[in-house]
Amino acid sequence: MSDIPRRRLLAGVALVPVSALRSAPAVSVFSPGQKLCLEAFANRLVPHDENGPGAVECGAVEYIERTLGDPNVGGKEAVVAGLEAVDALARRTYGAALAELPADKQDAVVSAVEGGAGAAGFFAMVRRLVLEGMFCDPSWGGNRGYAGWDLIRYPGPRLAVALEDQQVGVAVKPFRPSGGARGH
Amino acid sequence: MRVAIKLKPVDVAVVGLGAAGGVAVLPLARAGLKVAGIEAGTFMDPHSFKPDEIHNNVRGLLTSVPKANREIPTFRDSPSSPTRPRISVHPMMNAVGGTSIHYWAQSWRLKAWDFRTRSEVEKRYGASAIPVGSTLEDWPVTYGELEPFYDLVEHEVGVSGKAGNIQGRMVDGGNVYESPRQREYPMPPLRRSGYNDLMDKAARGLGWKPFPGPAAINSQEYKGRPGCAFHGFCSRGGCHISAKNSTAVTTIPEAVKTGNLTIFDKAQVTRVVAGADGRVTGVSYLRDGKEYFQPAKVVLVGSYTYENSRLLLLSQSKAYPKGLSNNHGQVGRHYFGHWQGSVIALFPQDMNVWYGTPAQATLVDEWSDDNFDHSGLGFIGGCSLSAYTERHPIEAAAMDTFGRAPAWGSGWKKFVRENAGRWTSAYIQTNTFPYENSRLDLDSEVKDPLGDPVCRITTGPRTNEPRALEFVQKKMEEWFMAAGALQVIRRPAIGPVGPITHAYGGTRMGDNPETNVVDKWGFSHEAPNLGILGASVMGTSGARNPTLTVQALAWRTADRLVQRWKGIAG
Repeated sequence: MSDIPRRRLLAGVALVPVSALRSAPAVSVFSPGQKLCLEAFANRLVPHDENGPGAVECGAVEYIERTLGDPNVGGKEAVVAGLEAVDALARRTYGAALAELPADKQDAVVSAVEGGAGAAGFFAMVRRLVLEGMFCDPSWGGNRGYAGWDLIRYPGPRLAVALEDQQVGVAVKPFRPSGGARGH
Repeated sequence: MRVAIKLKPVDVAVVGLGAAGGVAVLPLARAGLKVAGIEAGTFMDPHSFKPDEIHNNVRGLLTSVPKANREIPTFRDSPSSPTRPRISVHPMMNAVGGTSIHYWAQSWRLKAWDFRTRSEVEKRYGASAIPVGSTLEDWPVTYGELEPFYDLVEHEVGVSGKAGNIQGRMVDGGNVYESPRQREYPMPPLRRSGYNDLMDKAARGLGWKPFPGPAAINSQEYKGRPGCAFHGFCSRGGCHISAKNSTAVTTIPEAVKTGNLTIFDKAQVTRVVAGADGRVTGVSYLRDGKEYFQPAKVVLVGSYTYENSRLLLLSQSKAYPKGLSNNHGQVGRHYFGHWQGSVIALFPQDMNVWYGTPAQATLVDEWSDDNFDHSGLGFIGGCSLSAYTERHPIEAAAMDTFGRAPAWGSGWKKFVRENAGRWTSAYIQTNTFPYENSRLDLDSEVKDPLGDPVCRITTGPRTNEPRALEFVQKKMEEWFMAAGALQVIRRPAIGPVGPITHAYGGTRMGDNPETNVVDKWGFSHEAPNLGILGASVMGTSGARNPTLTVQALAWRTADRLVQRWKGIAG
């Protein structure tokens, strides 16, 4: 199977062996300041605009908190350190934390981070997590109200698919069950 | 000293009940042999399989089982390179049925050329055309000798497809490049999606002969299990209606029905034990913290490629001080990972490849093996091309923006709104060969929780495979453009990084014991009652998926054991 990109991602967000830990301690992943920074960052990656809600409205940050709060998923420390570096950059450049800046200055900071400023690998990691939070099954905490799937016209999981839903150039009617589709 | 619990002796102990071992148990059990199937994983409940991208594909929660994940091989680019960070989820899983539970189930045969590559290349292009540094040998088995076993597996497991060559008669609509088969597939091909049809038409326009991909997935009810529902969560996911023909729902239950197969699940084999006379006597395994010894007259090792070599290397004894069946130093040699490549295409309309399954594919075989003249090209072999379905939403939105939009912000959002459903990706599999510079051995530092070293992969540079892949990627670009793509992007032709799902060699099959671990039947050149199952015995990959060949070989090894029971079991 050709899934090298997926594997690269997994290499970045390392999983702890499943056997190692089972129950998640109820601790907050981010400090209030870090969370504000993440929300601001995510909302610049996917802004609220004429094409629909932004990342935070879609639950992407809630998804990220849940994901990084899962002891079976690694990467929390790298994201936390990256957020601190982003705010440090924002303060150094514009004199305020990212969340306190106007949109154009936030974009300038995000651009700098995309270009390599701040913590190495942070941009790709957060962008990937935001994408997961935008387009995952809602049962994981993101894609609230199926806003992400509606955006890209993903019709949603269903247990059996008709041939007419596999045709080029047709609009497939969305199937949006309440509560997500975690099981069969 | 630990004292193992000694179990009642059996005729055959099969290590691993995956795609290979799960097939081998059937002819053994049917012949009346008492078989112990020893499997590190357990039984999977189809109701636990989820239509969920995060679960299956992002986090690998189906495949992420403890035993495999404690043994993920390490990887070095060359003997002098540092070891790279390990990937976090083993690409294969432990379960009754093994990775055949979540594989793509593309089930095509290798071709006669794949078994005789060295002599065919030398004959047509001269000895200098053999890739420098390769350890390529002809297989000791011909396609013709394996054909009856391909046929048995296709009908027992259930494969959907369209024949292209029945006993030398070319059949329209099938793969005219395939080697002759004795009869048609047991089921018609999986239904064609609009995308499949579009790509089929475009290939025909180029003068190529596309065909529907053969799949171990039911296209209609077969042996009491239903046809595929095309729900689009087949990759890294199990089938909720058992339409995918994993060994867990086909050969293993059939073998259980005979009353001759006993399955020991959650049993982690730690050593294959050999006596001073060089014969194996059984296997040691751990289950729930207790150590057991299962005596057996014959042992068939059918774990995955990495674990096959590792288990042999760990099984040291007086007769085999460097590891079982390794007195010629060949265990771990001739390892190679399948070179695979991709081309992505952006189309001007919604392709609706969300649903389906990767085996619902339009395939092109014009550019693989020796199906075209290689004179002056500087490489041998080539690649098969696949235009397939099944796309998940995160993967879709994480698309390349084809240089047409930024990676974030409103511009990105507008772009994915329009285009996330309008791009597709081709799957390209390259004829890959073994090289002197690539091998498996035991890692000198990384150990599993039992204190046993994990497998270490070492690969080295090569020129043949990247040349072949780049050449054929250009054909794929041509195919996409003929189908109306707006733009195509060729992914870099890089080799496999780390452990992968198409891994070959390490216990290669060949007549010469100086360069091979097992003989033409799959039995050790050194330990006469030890057989090896899996792609670890394969000396070439073909330009296509390995599993059907692995299963045909496993059946053949089991059949040999049945035919020659007294000679082998002693």
